[in-house]
Amino acid sequence: MRKYVLLRGFYSLVTLWLLVTIIFAMVRLTGDPVAMKGEIGADATYLERIKHDWGLDQPVYWQYTGFIGNLLKGDFGHSFEKSLPVRDIYFERLPNSLKLGFAAFVISLALGVPFGMLSALKVNTWWDNAGKMIALLGLSMPGFFVGLVLIIIFGVQLGWLPVLGKGSSAFVWSNPATWAPFWFRDWPHLAMPAFALGWYFSGAMLRITRSGMLDVLGSDYIKLVRLKGVPERMVVAKHALKNSLIPVLTFAGLNLLIMVNVAVVIEVIFNWPGVGQLLYDGLSNRDFPMVQGVVLMSGLMIVMLNFVIDVLYGYVDPRIRLSR
Amino acid sequence: MTRRTGIKELLALTAALALVAAAGEAAAQKGGQTPILSGPLVKLDIKEAQIETAKGKPKGTFRIAQHFALDPGWLDPLEHIFALTMQTYDYLVHDALIKPMPQGEATYSLAEHAELAADFRRAAFRLRPGLKFHDGQPLSTADVKWTYENYKGAHAKLFRDKLEHIQIIDDRTIVFHFKEPFLEFMDLYNGAVSGIGWIVPKHYYEKVGRDGFKAKPIGAGPYKFVSQQAGVQMDFEAWEEYWRRTPAAKTIVVKGIRDNAARLAGLQTGELDLAFGMTGKVLPQVMADKNLRWVPNFTSVWHLAFPGYNEPDSPFHDKRVRQAVSLAINREFLVRQETQGVGKVWGNWISPENRDALKGDGKDLPLPEHNIAKAKQVLAQTKSPNGFEFEWFVPFVPYFDMGERILTDLRAVGIRGKLQSLEGPAFRAKMGQGRKGFPGNRTIVQNIDPRPGGAKATIGVYAVCGSPASIVCEPQIEELWTKHEASKNLDERDRLNKAIQKILVEEYYMVPIYWNPFVHAIGPRVLPEGKGIERYYDTLHAPYPWPWEVWEVRADR
Amino acid sequence: MATILGRATEIGGVSRAARRSYSWVREIPLVPLLLVTVLVLVAVLAPVLAPHSHLDPVKPTPGQCQAKYGMADCPYVDNMPPFWFSQGTFATPLGTDYLGRDLLSRLMYGARISLVVALTGTLFAGAIGTLLGVLAGYMGKWWDQIIMRVTDAWLTLPSLVFAILLSSVRGPGLWNIVLILALVFWSRYSRAVRGEVLALREREFVRLAEINGVGKLKIIRRHLIPNVMNTVMVLFSLQVGVAVIIEASLSFLGVGVPPPEPSWGLMMAQERESLMQGKWWLAVFPGICITMLVLSANMLGDWLRVRLDPQLRNR
Repeated sequence: MRKYVLLRGFYSLVTLWLLVTIIFAMVRLTGDPVAMKGEIGADATYLERIKHDWGLDQPVYWQYTGFIGNLLKGDFGHSFEKSLPVRDIYFERLPNSLKLGFAAFVISLALGVPFGMLSALKVNTWWDNAGKMIALLGLSMPGFFVGLVLIIIFGVQLGWLPVLGKGSSAFVWSNPATWAPFWFRDWPHLAMPAFALGWYFSGAMLRITRSGMLDVLGSDYIKLVRLKGVPERMVVAKHALKNSLIPVLTFAGLNLLIMVNVAVVIEVIFNWPGVGQLLYDGLSNRDFPMVQGVVLMSGLMIVMLNFVIDVLYGYVDPRIRLSR
Repeated sequence: MTRRTGIKELLALTAALALVAAAGEAAAQKGGQTPILSGPLVKLDIKEAQIETAKGKPKGTFRIAQHFALDPGWLDPLEHIFALTMQTYDYLVHDALIKPMPQGEATYSLAEHAELAADFRRAAFRLRPGLKFHDGQPLSTADVKWTYENYKGAHAKLFRDKLEHIQIIDDRTIVFHFKEPFLEFMDLYNGAVSGIGWIVPKHYYEKVGRDGFKAKPIGAGPYKFVSQQAGVQMDFEAWEEYWRRTPAAKTIVVKGIRDNAARLAGLQTGELDLAFGMTGKVLPQVMADKNLRWVPNFTSVWHLAFPGYNEPDSPFHDKRVRQAVSLAINREFLVRQETQGVGKVWGNWISPENRDALKGDGKDLPLPEHNIAKAKQVLAQTKSPNGFEFEWFVPFVPYFDMGERILTDLRAVGIRGKLQSLEGPAFRAKMGQGRKGFPGNRTIVQNIDPRPGGAKATIGVYAVCGSPASIVCEPQIEELWTKHEASKNLDERDRLNKAIQKILVEEYYMVPIYWNPFVHAIGPRVLPEGKGIERYYDTLHAPYPWPWEVWEVRADR
Repeated sequence: MATILGRATEIGGVSRAARRSYSWVREIPLVPLLLVTVLVLVAVLAPVLAPHSHLDPVKPTPGQCQAKYGMADCPYVDNMPPFWFSQGTFATPLGTDYLGRDLLSRLMYGARISLVVALTGTLFAGAIGTLLGVLAGYMGKWWDQIIMRVTDAWLTLPSLVFAILLSSVRGPGLWNIVLILALVFWSRYSRAVRGEVLALREREFVRLAEINGVGKLKIIRRHLIPNVMNTVMVLFSLQVGVAVIIEASLSFLGVGVPPPEPSWGLMMAQERESLMQGKWWLAVFPGICITMLVLSANMLGDWLRVRLDPQLRNR
């Protein structure tokens, strides 16, 4: 077991290192960021100074080692465009992304799990087909389309919900008084982006729930419970549900992370100041450190979660840890 | 809008005054001011500040939407970039010795008196008595000196290279000594052109450092910085002890909102009070909404340029092709669609607000013509009689719809291309590299440039071979420009400058389109009601309505 | 191991039997197939079917000019509503956009862009991914280690984030999007194919070929690639839908297909302001087109998955 964990840990580190290298190389192919800072007609010495400030006058391998070294110290560098440390800006935005992610997550669960269960219990009936259709629609409607439709209906026609930003509540790390109210305020602002984002994932959630439930319902364990004469309602509520939710929750954890990280388009449409918007801004301004920072944090979260899942599975199922 | 002629020709203007007045001994120019420097002085045209003694109470929240992401770097004058947007934030938090105000292009602010020696080797300022920073610490000449010495932004090298030493006479009096005559000093030191005149508190900057200052700056301006979410929002609060007047609005919130529709929605729901850049598809709605007011705010002239046109294999090498491009554009209809008829079809590519620019209203230069038949006829004589495919049409950001309209006009004569929708900084970067910024020579650029320094500054950037941003490079223009730079005769310079402008337009190196209104929309909470808001746009030649301390809004309910 | 072996035999056996009996014909989901066929036909025949040019404005009648602008002659009339509104006409059944271009014609040409980009992009991704997956699975050792570690790192990034990152390297353009899709999606194939090949490697026919001294390249070509094709097909059909969405998202963000070409995502982005004015159709019709295409691709993909992978039936 220990050997297995160490090996998985090693693999995760290799993955991270490769990720860092790929991103570093790719970002440097996007073009010269220095020219962005100077206005048209800026004098050459001014540009030289910026280049020096940003360390871009050094050879690439040196920039690379410096970059890795700083990363190990937890320093993501300075944003070119926003003039502040990337880490500070990132963590300032992260609560907004988490808020959106959590809300979307709750919506995807609330839509996906009940319909998935219903679908599995009434397999191959009208209910099931409807469920399958909803799942497919969820996976087929791009989030930005759902977002626009919501804006038309609730923002423009009905005028019920604000279409702009996240509201006035802010999460300030240095001020604990803002920590709790942040999550509970400005729900009208949150409603539309969260639904647009959660919609896509509810389809996936529905499918997972349905197949998990079908697996459990077909298992010997449930057959045994049924044989014992437990009423069907109890079978479902007590035994099947509990067991089928394990894969759902595992998957859900990954989904939550993905939601936090792929909300780019939704954040752009709703002007939601999360990390996705940061990435988009960074890319359009060739803000290397910003892009590197956001993409790396997103990679880091997923690699860590994968590692945890691998280890847990290895713990639960000895076949997995012996197979490699 | 006629009052807004200005800053651009500051250089030319002051140079002219300097030459006229340098010989004459000018004594103390302002009533009651004792002279600082000995010897002959240059007569300076700096207007008196308008100090409002009646102290009101600031009230209400004034919410502004910038049309792109906010940069905390704008809050640090020491790293001033070559962008007018930045001054919006200078005017909020900081204050300069001399800056553009409704009273004049150069108006006394922190300084109450300035002198420039006739040999241009010494400049002196006297600060107002009792100046303070937001934290209550006094603002003294030590801060002015420190700001000069630590300035790293636009023109920093020039300021450093020319300086011999700085002499502090007392807390309020300071003299700059230069190694050689520094003719442009007073123009460049003005808050309009560089960040060096916007005074940064030495004690605070040294304590919190570069990042700390950008995260939470303090200054001597009318508004105290409260907090920011980088790129998204900045909050400011009125500083009642500001020397000129008590700011009218209690709180100012600036948001960065790129999406036009979102800014409009914000105005309509009352989440915003002032939004920049409201032309295009949203303008009809702004005009139709009786709760909203708008200000045309003319800036500069849209024009097309052809990077790489002077290479023989470029389709735009042939003057007749460029002429066909100009003839194909339906400017009247474009103005109607993009600006609801507010913009003016224009014959020169440089804004008429520059006193040294040829008027493009049909007098100095003819109004450009729209004639598809003629365009086809002209094109028929060229290498590609039925039109051709070029590569990219690159519009100034974010005027992509306008770009696509022009692109569609060009299709009518068979000139076809794709639209490149860059982001602002990427576009600036490409323009900054001039011809090199646009690989290949099959590109059309749709540009606009409201640049201080007059028409000659704009020519010096785009139409001269030696400029890093050069797009036009012609021996004929080069010859005139060399003469222009060498000449000490103002009339001759003006003649040469205008000759160059004429060539640029007549040879279709630059194809003017229309004089652009940079429309700002204003919500119902801004006072006074009705047309009175136009007074906020009195500062000469500013794309934004500075200063901020005069903006009044209704009290919050 | 037993389940994997079982699956492999079934794939060969069942599908061959099914093909003979034609029973699979009855199971084909008709609705999505019809939709896809219609969309493909529209895309292919767009130049014939489209009532107007997709890039040039529709020439208005003097009456329309007079009504809209109070001018006798105008180059185009923008924002005409669809035919069921009072000012709409059947000449432009779905109305015109802000440049007076016919929305229906633009939607038809938009189908071309979506299909070309999504199909070729996924195809390239499939080719790269399959090749690397086979190499990793069959060659083993360092090949496996290197390819799989890179695959893992690649898979770590959410596909949209990755696509946006790549688009800023390559810049906008139709073929750049194809390249981006190929670069983003190959890792999904290599992961799945490698697993399949690991199992195939142990099978007798491969072992026999090895003993008989058949070259590695030939084994890969003759035995491995044909046997992983089912997996690749299923993945392909499921990726096409995602690829359509990614293309639309990139174009929506302005880093995809450049104007004036009518990409559906771009059309939605351009008409966001009109949407606020209540002209919903300009942004909604392209959205419906995207949804229909992705939906039918997904349904076909699901059907194919069930067909080719009986283990997954009822999932």
